[in-house]
Amino acid sequence: MKRALAAVLVAAAAAVALAFLVLPIAAIFLRVPPGHLLRQLSSPIVTDALIVSFKTTAIAQVLILAFGTPLAWLIASRSFRGRALAITLVELPLVLPPAVAGLGLLAAFGRFGLLSTNIAFTQTAVVFAVTFVSSPLYIRQAIAAFEAVDPNLVAASRTLGAGPGRTFFRVVLPLAWNGLAAGEALAFARGLGEFGATIMFAGSLQGVTQTLPLAIYSAFAIDFDTALAMGALLVAISAVLLLVLKLVLSWRSSRPTSSFLFARST
Amino acid sequence: MRVALAFIVALVVAATAAATTDATQPTVYAAASLTDAFPKIAPHARFSFAGSNALAAQIRQGAPADVFASANTALPTALHNDGFCSKPVIFTRNTLVLIVPKSNPAGIHTVYDLRRSGIKLVIADKGVPVGSYTLQVLKNMNLSGVLKNVVSRETDVREVLAKIALGEGDAGFVYSTDARTVPNKVRVLKIPAWAQPKVQYGICVVSRSSNKPAAQAFIKRVLSPAGQKIMLRYGFLPRVKK
Repeated sequence: MKRALAAVLVAAAAAVALAFLVLPIAAIFLRVPPGHLLRQLSSPIVTDALIVSFKTTAIAQVLILAFGTPLAWLIASRSFRGRALAITLVELPLVLPPAVAGLGLLAAFGRFGLLSTNIAFTQTAVVFAVTFVSSPLYIRQAIAAFEAVDPNLVAASRTLGAGPGRTFFRVVLPLAWNGLAAGEALAFARGLGEFGATIMFAGSLQGVTQTLPLAIYSAFAIDFDTALAMGALLVAISAVLLLVLKLVLSWRSSRPTSSFLFARST
Repeated sequence: MRVALAFIVALVVAATAAATTDATQPTVYAAASLTDAFPKIAPHARFSFAGSNALAAQIRQGAPADVFASANTALPTALHNDGFCSKPVIFTRNTLVLIVPKSNPAGIHTVYDLRRSGIKLVIADKGVPVGSYTLQVLKNMNLSGVLKNVVSRETDVREVLAKIALGEGDAGFVYSTDARTVPNKVRVLKIPAWAQPKVQYGICVVSRSSNKPAAQAFIKRVLSPAGQKIMLRYGFLPRVKK
């Protein structure tokens, strides 16, 4: 009797949690006037914002992979003084409010900032903002993925005569692949949704720095239906991203080289 | 299902109650340019300052505002026509100025200097009152071509002010009252009277307000001689042109 009650309570709580997460997203689609969604796709504001969003996020991902992967590998494979500090520093942008990230970027890269660059209001500024807020998601996941690689396999590869580079690309990378892909997909999705740091550091100009979230915010103050339609578009894009990730991972995880997906956080 | 939802909502409302209720004081949704003056008129009222158009959009979505004070008359009039607020009254006026950072990195000395290429001009989005006033000024002065120098369209006037005060932008259009709040950071370039748009602020009681007496008292206070004196002290113009 007691057990049955507990089971009912657990099921009820789970249903509430799921409903709470699904409801706002479902509501967007239910409230978008039919036809409005498709019409939005052809509006220049939306197409410009889509192009800016995908371009800046894609460039940011290249930077994140090129610089983040070596950092994650170093942190995962070496033990050194200050390792815990390095991990904390990598994770800090994750928990920072985006407004603080925007302030930091201005203070560092603004015209009168530490490095006094001239990139504010340019697409470069958007790329910087996206990279800053989304790279921790990838690096964190990559550290966990690299840590999960069996050191014996690495040692075996070295004993068999493979150099460190060959070992990394032929042994470590394939084994860590799932974790890296999961982290990268999350970083990409977070990058597409970036708002606060971008609007503070890069401003908002259609076709230049106005990403989809910025365009949604701007539309909200003018026409709620248009904002809803654009929001639905962003939800659809994010859902497709997640779905593709899951498909790729399930396809890969049926193969013998797979490692586990979501790993320890430190 | 609905009972369960009502229960959870009630719990969260109870947990956040202290932050949301004070029956005697109105919640005032006011244009960003009123950020400094309004709290001096009614120190205990709760304020939400933002671009007037964003506030109007929130009110249309049922935001718990009692008073709406807009930097134009078009937005409150539209709300009134759709039944969202009372008939707006004009409570103050303002003028537009061009501001440049104190260091004036682009060497801008008149509005006409904005025509030079490569200048980073920051304005407000066209849906924001100050954004549409800016377009009017440029049209009046036959300078619509300088829009090619716009590097950002901000969501309210204080965002424009911040970008120029920081020195990130080379020039921006704000109200003269905003420029006065950071005298050490920006330099003011006047816009000739003949090019000025008619900047009138409208205020109204939100129809869904649960606290209409407080809302009406607030508006009365803004229109009173004491309230108007405070507005003048912050550089606003008398509500009726003399």
